[in-house]
Amino acid sequence: MIRTQRGRGGLVAEAGGWRHAAAAVAILIAALALAGCSSQKTGGPGEGQQGSGLGENGLNGSGGSSLAQFQKSGTLGAGGPLTDIHFDYNDYTVRQQDGEILKTNADWLQKNATARAQIEGHCDDRGSEEYNIALGAKRAQAAKDYLETLGISADRLSTISYGKELPLCTEETDDCWQQNRRDHFVVSQ
Amino acid sequence: MLTRMMLAVAGLWMLMAGATAMAQTGGSVPSTLPPIRIVGAERVSPIAVADLKNLSGDDDHQVSKVFTATLVRDLKLSGYFSVIDPHAYIEDSQTSGYDVGQFNFGDWSSLNAEFLVKGAVTRGAKVSLEIMLFDVGQQRRMMGRKYVGSSHEVGEMARRFADALMESVTGTRGPFATKLAFVSTRGGRFKEVYTSWLDGGSLFRVTDNPTINLFPRFNKAADRLLYLSYKTMSPALYLVDLGRGVETRIEPPLGMPVGAAFTSGGRIIGAFSRAGQTNLYLLDESGGELKALTDEHAINVNPSPCVNGDAFAFASDRSGTPQIYVMDLGGDDAQRITYKGDYNTAPAFSPDCKKIAYEGRGEGGFQIFVTNADGSGTRQLTQEGSNEGPVWSPDGRYIAFSSRREGGTRIYMMLAADGKITGSLTEGDGDDTNPAWSWWIGG
Repeated sequence: MIRTQRGRGGLVAEAGGWRHAAAAVAILIAALALAGCSSQKTGGPGEGQQGSGLGENGLNGSGGSSLAQFQKSGTLGAGGPLTDIHFDYNDYTVRQQDGEILKTNADWLQKNATARAQIEGHCDDRGSEEYNIALGAKRAQAAKDYLETLGISADRLSTISYGKELPLCTEETDDCWQQNRRDHFVVSQ
Repeated sequence: MLTRMMLAVAGLWMLMAGATAMAQTGGSVPSTLPPIRIVGAERVSPIAVADLKNLSGDDDHQVSKVFTATLVRDLKLSGYFSVIDPHAYIEDSQTSGYDVGQFNFGDWSSLNAEFLVKGAVTRGAKVSLEIMLFDVGQQRRMMGRKYVGSSHEVGEMARRFADALMESVTGTRGPFATKLAFVSTRGGRFKEVYTSWLDGGSLFRVTDNPTINLFPRFNKAADRLLYLSYKTMSPALYLVDLGRGVETRIEPPLGMPVGAAFTSGGRIIGAFSRAGQTNLYLLDESGGELKALTDEHAINVNPSPCVNGDAFAFASDRSGTPQIYVMDLGGDDAQRITYKGDYNTAPAFSPDCKKIAYEGRGEGGFQIFVTNADGSGTRQLTQEGSNEGPVWSPDGRYIAFSSRREGGTRIYMMLAADGKITGSLTEGDGDDTNPAWSWWIGG
């Protein structure tokens, strides 16, 4: 039942058994309703699928990308040899104290010359989701540019933005918002 | 699916107000008959919705129950009507008639009903409905409709009747034969895309992946749905053919996709981020780039095309803070239209392209505002909670938006004129966000 279609602009995706899937989905939804608010994993299609590139082969206890950690109900931002940096509200400039952190991160990358880093931009939960994805992209790019000026080759660095989708905390407080406005670094070899 | 529904349009009897029908047939017109009253939402009108008379085949009244429950739900959502409790109804709809002269208007005026819906059902291989709207005070028929279709299309018939009823009573077609798309975390932690009728009927789960799915947007025919998903662990745009159940990944080499929307002509305006800058591009439906619409060292997101013409609105931080801009697909200079506040995003063009709704940071959180397309006449519509993602009904009378209040986040519907909330469009566990409101299904 898998049907594929090729878009001129790019790659291919597919959805199989749409109408039949609807019945299965209805059953799944009913089952979830019975399960109440438990955070048990649902095991839908795509479970365990991982994209190519960085994130899954974490180093030194890194749990992979924040999204992979979220999928596994893991602790976001845990592990990894590099340290997060943080940003002011609706801002993407690297603050002085975070420049020091980036120097430490750059030193580690210099010493581990085969390591690559994906820089994740994150935002607090205020404002539209789409704007925040764009803002997170700016934050990730700001760290990438900074690391490049410290001599890290651009081809060892990549960026992704999760906007406000993967917060570390959910309280409506200044402290929590500050924790969420961050760049997180995911290292792979 | 929808196109298979046999609305008996050709045989649809437009039973107009009695005076008009007589005039058309050359009969004498009593000059004392008042014109149709145009009622406004500032005054809620009591309406009665009687069970449908079973002419044959609906002995368990299932068709009647589905039709009346759907119609009552929609009339309540409209904000124009209060539906009189059926337990108070005096007449037995199974023994009385359903046209003028076949029942007693006094049974309804004694309940203070201003309007009355009555009708009949014949259920065989197909379901046939005859439904009429009466002005109780004037004891006349205002309009009638006849529908033929399968039994699972009865809800759609009720939504179409609700739209026709609102046109008859208010002068403007109602917004209920339309679809809602939204994102919900119901049943788990992951944001998935759903569609339903506006009133919540026929809920359909579009995505099923344990990642992040965002920003559903219909094309005008509502047979295509765009959304952004991280299901390959990186964000990509997907275009779903809702009729065929096939989706295509749209991946032009323009950078990381951030969001997208359909133009009325079926093209796509997409926001893509490259080297930290996010710009807007016009794409064809398969993702081929037609032109760059913005080229700024800044964020440009939330494209919202108007239904008529080439204008679109978007949000940009090119001035230093996110503000709303309007430009056209021809690439004329963007006009900034918001100056008050330091965080205005998520614009939505009204269907007549004269107004723009948006979310802005105000005291106590984000609120929904509406302004003229030139930036004049700005008004704040919401006052409480945190409110995001405004979208317009195709009749231009309502705005749907997501709001966090009373704990969870739900999608609400309000009157664009004054911000009066007429109802909640979603319910249940989880948070519901990112509403999209389709054009009328079938046009």
